Amino acid sequence: MVYFAILVAPLVAGILAGYALRKKWHANLNKATLPIIIVLIFSLGFSIGSNKDVLSSLPRVGWNALLIASLTIVFSIALVELAKRKVKLA
Amino acid sequence: MIRYILAALIVGVTAGYLVSYSGNADAGSYAVDYVFNGSLLVLLFTMGLSFGLDKEAMHKLRQTGLRILIVPFTVVLGSILGGLVGGLILRLDLTASMAVTAGYGWYTLDGPMVGQVFGAEWGAMGFAVNFIRELLTIVTITLLVKIGKYAPIASGGATTMDTTLPVIVRYCGPDALITAFSSGFTLSLLAPFSIIAVSTLGRFLLSLTGL
Repeated sequence: MVYFAILVAPLVAGILAGYALRKKWHANLNKATLPIIIVLIFSLGFSIGSNKDVLSSLPRVGWNALLIASLTIVFSIALVELAKRKVKLA
Repeated sequence: MIRYILAALIVGVTAGYLVSYSGNADAGSYAVDYVFNGSLLVLLFTMGLSFGLDKEAMHKLRQTGLRILIVPFTVVLGSILGGLVGGLILRLDLTASMAVTAGYGWYTLDGPMVGQVFGAEWGAMGFAVNFIRELLTIVTITLLVKIGKYAPIASGGATTMDTTLPVIVRYCGPDALITAFSSGFTLSLLAPFSIIAVSTLGRFLLSLTGL
């Protein structure tokens, strides 16, 4: 639960700051954030690569896992696209 | 841009593998944990900032309101359905296969939980299916956004609250921030309960349908 709160706090702080500044400041933060995204993705890869449970799982269940993972993605996308039309999400 | 992201992913996995192989895994992952959390916090703040500055995004969110929660609950159905169909195709234990997909991409939760109930082999499946889901969402992001702006969010499952969020917002725009975050947040809350529910109720429900 602590982790959830730690994520929500900077998000809400950012939104409030942006809302307060929006009449005075127009910024495109895309350029500035790319290096941080690269760092984040690197460390995500690192924690997967250094996790022994994860790596040892691949030779045992690899292809089956790839199929099941792909099916969950396909069905999730299909149902959300269906729901989107029914409920009119923006 | 996707080239840099994929390169970072590949270099990261390789570096993690080499460091754990050389026996310094604990020191390495300790440091990387800090880097990961630090960069995530900075990104969450800047993504929030972009969202707050964007009048259109705020307006869209107000229009959609609580209907936004349709997304995670639909992903619950889609994920477990994927586990069911996968289990049928591969002729596996259907309950276990659905419990594996009820982790919604949260591999450090699903692997151990499923392993405890269904044994080590299924634990390995829990790890693999869920981290592959996370990786596929990042690797195929340029294709997913072509399907629709909710497709990467549906694909990412529980990971759209943290690991895949910056990449999704990057490709879907600032107005996807709250949809993606709230969907990942809801799915992360639901994951432990749905793994338990599927594990215990799955066999009973399947016996009713005769599968």
